[in-house]
Amino acid sequence: MDTRTSIDAEERERELVITRIFDAPRHLVFQAWTEPDRATRWWGPQGFVTTYCNMDVRPGGAFRVCMRSPAGAEHWKQGVYREVVEPERLVFTFAWEDAEGKPGHQTLVTVTFAEHGNKTELTLHQAVFESVSRRDEHRAGWASTLERFAEYLAKKQ
Amino acid sequence: MSPDRLSTTFSALADPTRRAILARLVSGEVSVTELAEPFAMSLPAVSKHLKVLESAGLIARSREAQWRPCRLEAGPLKDAADWLEHYRRFWEQSFDRLADYLGELQAKEEKDGHEDEH
Repeated sequence: MDTRTSIDAEERERELVITRIFDAPRHLVFQAWTEPDRATRWWGPQGFVTTYCNMDVRPGGAFRVCMRSPAGAEHWKQGVYREVVEPERLVFTFAWEDAEGKPGHQTLVTVTFAEHGNKTELTLHQAVFESVSRRDEHRAGWASTLERFAEYLAKKQ
Repeated sequence: MSPDRLSTTFSALADPTRRAILARLVSGEVSVTELAEPFAMSLPAVSKHLKVLESAGLIARSREAQWRPCRLEAGPLKDAADWLEHYRRFWEQSFDRLADYLGELQAKEEKDGHEDEH
């Protein structure tokens, strides 16, 4: 058995990858992600209403958004944009806030927009850890974790 | 679940050997010697991995039996899987709404375009 292949498959499995084709031109899909009055129209589960939205869409810029659930509970999400390449790529950190407004476990979201005629193929990849190096997106999250892990062990011993 | 615990779980999972150890334990309790067999690794190296998994709460080691077998503790793994599943649902539902919204936008553009022609 090729163990390398099975490990790669497993690594991908532990991170989130969602691909969807939208029947709309790429610039429109990109705008829907990067213009606050457009993002509030769809960003959140069914029945959720965005009650606050602040997005500073540029590398290093932050976003903070509040959505209200159908039951009336408020959920805050926040992050920082790492890359903004119009109209093809967005990279940002993402975390939910707890009741005290403290961000929870931080993830790294990479969204790519590929043009297919008048349609747009969107791929969302969410890594369970933020990583500065993104030479290989599918592996970066784990690779950086391993590095940090090695540092951690070295300090402990 | 606290973010710290999630981070600990993901850190522990971020190593192929440790994931292979967990996969092995799915079938039941195993001794450290048996766990070390498939890996080209010394017993102390395997023990190090086991310590990481144990402190992350992913495995437990029996204190009763002399050979102190390892067993899988499913709780944190399930929490991590649930957490990822929560994000998947969040995006998939958002994308359903995005598809509807893009449809609306284009219908409006088309209508406005026709009106401009008159």
